[in-house]
Amino acid sequence: MKKQLQITVNGELRQALVEPFYSLLDTLRDEMHMTGTKKGCDEGDCGACTVLLNGKPVCSCLVLAHSAHDGEVTTIEGLAVGQDLHPVQKAFAEYGGLQCGYCTPGIILSAVGFLESGEEPTEENIKHALGGNLCRCTGYSKVIESVMVAVKATEKATG
Amino acid sequence: MADFQTIGQNHIRVDALDKVTGKAIYAGDVYLPGMLMCKLVVSTHSHARIVSIDTSAAEELPGVRAVITGKDYPDARFGSGALKDRRVMAVDEVFYIGEPIAAVAADDEITALEAVELIKVQYQGIDKVVDPLEAISTRSSDVHPDLEDFEGYGFALGGNNCTMLDADRGDVDQGFKDSDIIVEETYHTQPISQGFLEPMACVADVEANGRLDIYASTQGPYQVRSQLASVLDMAIGNIKVTAMEMGGGFGAKLRLAFEAFPALLAMKTGRPVKLVNTREEAFTLNGPRLETNIYLKTGVTKDGKIMAREARSIFDVGAYLGAGPNAGVGHGLGAYKIPNFKLRSYGVYTNKIYVGSYRASGVADMTFATESHTDVIAHKLGMDPFEFRLKNALSEGDTAVNGSTIPENGLMETMAALKERMGLPKKLTSTPKEARGIGISVGEWRSGSGPSTASISVNEDGTVSLLTGSVDISGSDTSLAQIAAEALGLRLDQVVVAKRNTDMAPFTGPSGGSRIVYSQGRAVQNAAEDAKSKLLDLAADRLGVPVEALECSGGSVYVQDNPPQSMDLGQLGRMSLSSRGGPIIGTSSLSSLPYAPVFNAQGAEVIVDKETGQVRVTRFVQAQDIGRAINPMGVEGQLEGGAVQGIGRALSEEILIHKETGEVRNPSLATYLMPLSVDMPEIENILIEIPSADGPFGARAVAESPGFGPPAAIANAIYDAVGVRVKTLPLSAERVLAAIQGNDDDEYTVDADELRAAEEP
Repeated sequence: MKKQLQITVNGELRQALVEPFYSLLDTLRDEMHMTGTKKGCDEGDCGACTVLLNGKPVCSCLVLAHSAHDGEVTTIEGLAVGQDLHPVQKAFAEYGGLQCGYCTPGIILSAVGFLESGEEPTEENIKHALGGNLCRCTGYSKVIESVMVAVKATEKATG
Repeated sequence: MADFQTIGQNHIRVDALDKVTGKAIYAGDVYLPGMLMCKLVVSTHSHARIVSIDTSAAEELPGVRAVITGKDYPDARFGSGALKDRRVMAVDEVFYIGEPIAAVAADDEITALEAVELIKVQYQGIDKVVDPLEAISTRSSDVHPDLEDFEGYGFALGGNNCTMLDADRGDVDQGFKDSDIIVEETYHTQPISQGFLEPMACVADVEANGRLDIYASTQGPYQVRSQLASVLDMAIGNIKVTAMEMGGGFGAKLRLAFEAFPALLAMKTGRPVKLVNTREEAFTLNGPRLETNIYLKTGVTKDGKIMAREARSIFDVGAYLGAGPNAGVGHGLGAYKIPNFKLRSYGVYTNKIYVGSYRASGVADMTFATESHTDVIAHKLGMDPFEFRLKNALSEGDTAVNGSTIPENGLMETMAALKERMGLPKKLTSTPKEARGIGISVGEWRSGSGPSTASISVNEDGTVSLLTGSVDISGSDTSLAQIAAEALGLRLDQVVVAKRNTDMAPFTGPSGGSRIVYSQGRAVQNAAEDAKSKLLDLAADRLGVPVEALECSGGSVYVQDNPPQSMDLGQLGRMSLSSRGGPIIGTSSLSSLPYAPVFNAQGAEVIVDKETGQVRVTRFVQAQDIGRAINPMGVEGQLEGGAVQGIGRALSEEILIHKETGEVRNPSLATYLMPLSVDMPEIENILIEIPSADGPFGARAVAESPGFGPPAAIANAIYDAVGVRVKTLPLSAERVLAAIQGNDDDEYTVDADELRAAEEP
């Protein structure tokens, strides 16, 4: 039986009527038509569907939509403020951190989640933070470089 | 080096902002009003007659709008290569586990899945064969007893041998007689997945006039269009294919996949129909690569000159010849001069999922074998592996295996750069537990050719719009825009790259084989030159000066001796609207470009844990001759990604196939082990630029070559570290440990005699 739920997505309160077994990913994509979040495996293996749920990166394919009821979700569509990109988005564009782009929303959100976690942003820690995100195109070098650039840009901005 | 304004500089990809903001639309992101969801019924038998298919219960389920089976399609076979051996959906017989049998369109995915469960298929099993070496022997049953009736049968030898390719030169027997040392070996490579992150997806719609409107995840929209036309018995002109943003293909999405299922369902229901693969289906429905067995015999003189090579390669192609075993001959020699050779390559049917293409299909397999073999020979000779390679390396004027004369190229430069960067020859220091080694390997490819078209129109504000039919799978739109900008003296942001479909853009070959920047780029450069010449004509007419006196750059056309006498491109664009020649459009169309080889020399440093057999790559260096780096950041990205795919192939990736049934046992990303960020060393790239004669601004191909060398470079490094030679991929910890412990009873060690059974009858 479908049930009503409400989630704040990118700062906007959204409602949906979905089955209890629906994932957060399917709710975002099929019900809200927010297609920036990608489905790569639907099994929690690839990380392409990563979003921030209450500030923490999760595989949205593994989260039941109703368990996110009343929660706050940030997707790739919610990172930029108007035309101003988030420093991580900007770095990925400028430093070649993306190719086909399918894994990119998930990787960017994993990176944003990590940077907001307060953990020390060393290269090793970043590699581990992105350890659940598969990318088949880049070989990861420019992905890691992009996150490092974003770290520096953020440090500079916050002094 | 020539003074370039736009090319040779790092540029943000033209699609980057769409991709970092989630605005890029992939085929699975297409939602149309009234859209139905499609799900498939697939075979649970490796080889069986279909006794009956009962779809009645499914059709009665509320929400189900249509059910189709193979009998709903015209009685036609199609093929991915030369041989037309495949039906779009099984009719009467299935040839592998996972073969589509029926498809359902329903109001939503859950209803479609319920309907699939309600479809009852009765099978009657028939003899099957899973092992390609058994399949090629006379004791095997035939996968397709009617092989001789297939269109394109010409290259088949019969039985399960569906294709045989060969290349011969000189006198091989004499070559072996003239040799001091003969080395004879077999290598085995594993089934492997392209590993694209975006499962295939398609939305099909039917226009009121009956035209099909296809939104596809494809590298080859024109191939999808023509193959769809043939399996649906429709006119090509009645099909429009829009290639959506591509979430990785690497060869898997070159041709018709399953677009015919939603297409026929859309025609039956009059509603849009969407089919998106699950990850499991990405492993079991789309052609991966299957195993390869490679026999090599090479004769060399004492002083290290290669005299003769015999190679016999057996490619398991599964149930259909989805991609040919061309690499077995084309890449049987490596980057070396070999005066006498006899190369044979066989495609063998088995009851498994059919093979598809993957980043220069088969070349990575061949390179693992030939470049491991090269090392083995060098060690037998007591020569340094690098010096042995150098001594036999191809040079300008030599004849390539395909008969072409080798033009100017960067093989020597890439090898020299690798040697310098890695400090070869070098011996790394080991500890009792961790042995360290270094290995090298050289990959070779050609810049891809094939039909290419481009048009460039000059807008009223002096910007230009670039239209090509090619799909951007590698950053090529950015490179093509740079080429147009450079040729016209514009900034990159003055070139608009059109989003396109098969209705609006003229025919072009698929995005594969490293052909877009080289061939399509040439077409773009030609089209830009054509537009430029029309701009100059118009300006000469208006300024009253001869064309030769004019120059086009910086967004205007001016008199060289008097630059203030000029017209900007916007003025010319506006004037052209009422000029005699009309609006300015530059066009170009070409079918092929001359042979331009690409060489990539790679080196790996590894640590082998002697207690566990675990291999870790600690350093990876590659030098590739890319002719001219149009967008260096993009080139590096391609090189790094290719190398890491090669490292995955070397160490961890393997599709596990059930030995009895041919079923894929690990169709998930948790069990098919692709490299992760934590596994990878930084890849060091060295870009060598020896311009090609015909590529745009001298560019050569980039993307295929970096994936060839890693398995052999790593296997050679393992040998350097622990003195054991592993000839089977992947170089897993179990396999390496077994070799260290002296247990070379490898499950895949293939007897040379067994491979000889593949000799033509």
